[in-house]
Amino acid sequence: MDFDFSPEEQKFAEEVEQWLVENHDPVVMDPTRENFSQLADTPERRAFMKKLAKKGWLGMSWPKKYGGQEIEGVYEFILNEALSRHAAPQIGKGVGIIGKTLIRHGSEKLKQEFLPKILDAEIEFAVGYSEPQAGSDAANMQLKAEKVDGGWKLNGQKMWTTSAHFADWYWVGARTDPDKPKHDGLSLFLIPMDHPGLEVQSLPTIGKDTTNQVFFEDVFVPDDYLVGKRGQGFQMISEALDLERFTMFTLSPIADRSRVLIEWVRTATRDDQPLRNDPNVRRIIAHIATDTAVAKGLSTRFVCAAKEGGKPPTIQSSQYKLFTTTLSQRVCKDALDVAGAAGQLREGQEDAPLAGRFEGAYRATMNETVGGGSSEIQKNIIARRKLGLPKNF
Amino acid sequence: MDLDLSEEQQMLVDMTRGMLEEHSTIDVVRSMEDDPRGYPDELWKQMGELGLNGILIPESHGGSGQTLLEAALVYEELGRALAPVPHFVSAVMSARLLMEAGSDDQKDAWLEKIANGDAILTPAWLEPDRGFGPVGVKLAAKADGDGFTLTGTKRHVYFASAADRMIVLARSDAGVDLFLVDPAAPGVTLTHQLSQASDAQYRVDFDGVRVAAGDRIGAAGSGGAAFEKGMLDGIILLAAQAVGGAERALEETVQYAKERVQFDKPLGAFQALAHYMADASTGIDGSRVLVHEAAWNRAQGRSISRFAPMAKLFACETYREVTRVCAQIWGGVAFTREYDIQIFFRHAKQLQLSWWDTPYLEELVAADVLDR
Repeated sequence: MDFDFSPEEQKFAEEVEQWLVENHDPVVMDPTRENFSQLADTPERRAFMKKLAKKGWLGMSWPKKYGGQEIEGVYEFILNEALSRHAAPQIGKGVGIIGKTLIRHGSEKLKQEFLPKILDAEIEFAVGYSEPQAGSDAANMQLKAEKVDGGWKLNGQKMWTTSAHFADWYWVGARTDPDKPKHDGLSLFLIPMDHPGLEVQSLPTIGKDTTNQVFFEDVFVPDDYLVGKRGQGFQMISEALDLERFTMFTLSPIADRSRVLIEWVRTATRDDQPLRNDPNVRRIIAHIATDTAVAKGLSTRFVCAAKEGGKPPTIQSSQYKLFTTTLSQRVCKDALDVAGAAGQLREGQEDAPLAGRFEGAYRATMNETVGGGSSEIQKNIIARRKLGLPKNF
Repeated sequence: MDLDLSEEQQMLVDMTRGMLEEHSTIDVVRSMEDDPRGYPDELWKQMGELGLNGILIPESHGGSGQTLLEAALVYEELGRALAPVPHFVSAVMSARLLMEAGSDDQKDAWLEKIANGDAILTPAWLEPDRGFGPVGVKLAAKADGDGFTLTGTKRHVYFASAADRMIVLARSDAGVDLFLVDPAAPGVTLTHQLSQASDAQYRVDFDGVRVAAGDRIGAAGSGGAAFEKGMLDGIILLAAQAVGGAERALEETVQYAKERVQFDKPLGAFQALAHYMADASTGIDGSRVLVHEAAWNRAQGRSISRFAPMAKLFACETYREVTRVCAQIWGGVAFTREYDIQIFFRHAKQLQLSWWDTPYLEELVAADVLDR
């Protein structure tokens, strides 16, 4: 048993940390965007991703023949945690979901076309799985992909495509085989985001950022841009989610919010008394600190399970996601409770405690227990795969 | 990072579990409920033969001198088996106090006997209407010639009737002192008190009990600090015990949920119940990794002032919540004595209330986080 990183891993963590301090840029790194800070959605952030690429930090775990270094995934974990701790853009989608799926299942043509661009940070992706009728029931996608000469014609709608308004390419699940069982009738496509048949409509969130819905009207996709085998879409989506779930909700921002709150409580006063002397506040802080330590432990569990190889750490990542996103919301709620009436003041208001950070985070974290597989979906996964309970829906 | 057990650790776990499955069956556990002595000879003998009583005692005193991590693995098994043994009071708390503060004579007199199970020692700590903190120790130790006289009352003295010595926390002019006292000494009165977990615990009244100067453990006034230090180790093991108990309660409940049918479906096919069990499983796995991290830090010689109270706080709350949910899933039968889940339900809450309770642990964590 060993709870420390190895000396090599520790050295890498320190190197990344130092590099991020040296390359600190408030335009690129904005913690008040909370989970949205992971997006490379502005020219400055894309330039930052290019710098990461130059460091050789994109695709570290990929096979050497595709430009990777074939080193353990734990280095990508360390990198992503550090990036998210600094509220910098992260490596999740391109390197993780799309890159790794293409490496496992993509044609030579798609590998040649996309993998080098992912490694060079020349390309940003949007991911389109959810639809109006495919939320938690992700396999219920209805976006229609009709076989036509030389390719496919797509019609329908996607929901919650966060990156649609700035991405270059769209990674989309669509129904190619409506007569097959719903899990076996889906295929994955790559579509240029500037395709004239795509219409992106903004859906502003209760946080600072927007997500989107995307409408497809006769979007033609050549045969070459169907990823992997026809009908294998859902299997590839699930596999990638198993591998990448933890990159979607890194621990660092949550642990950092706990730290920010604790630092504030240490120095704040109420009625001329130190706030930290309030027994109720002390109790709240004790549980936040304890639960944050548990979340870190659950994160260590999936890192270790992933390192062992073999099966993807599905159960461990579901437990981590369930516990940590719930904690994330509770820290924000508790912070507002501790702040008292002033907690309601929003970012930008002079009197807002901690510059309104937690009022903003209270909004921004609302979606964490929903996106990336809701808490209820995680519980179903744990109940069935870990406890062996029967299907319950 | 690596959460796997070493081969030796896994062997220790397997060996302990195997022995407990044979000698700490649920029938044995039930037979010891409300028993004034509180532990069965055969189980205690087996613990000694496997070397479990000397796990934290150095080899120079007849133990195997293993780390708190190995001890935590054993405690998970003791928790699973609800093992009715005086291990914690004797082989953990008393042994730690002697190792920390005892004189060579005291160590020679007791540690080897504790290690092989021939002697049982138990702390006499808590007092009526007083708390867990150092200020709670009020039982008076009055200097009297070449020794002391003790007057006052202790509660929750586990296995006192079977103990060869109590280690009594008492208030002297110098502060808190620890004294070795024979429960059969004149002026000591033991009263068995029935508890939530039906264990063998005693109220102990001290009426001018004479103690020789040589029976004080450590320098005058040093007892409180030694006890706190021992507790930081001890609560990690109790947290491990909670993990083991919670896991077994959940295992038995999951099995029941696969078999018991209502509305033509097994209970586990109802999402309301499946989600209870998924939450329980997550809490248990989170507790375990926190306990292991605490014990590992201790084994590495690092500070556990934050991890230890966190571990007991979280693991005991998880155990309590898991057993509440398990009882809910078992339904009406959980309310009867006939079924076993109620034993876990009672043990879980008592463990949370004992050896530093939730409010005390919350304050320890808060002080470590906010005041340092």
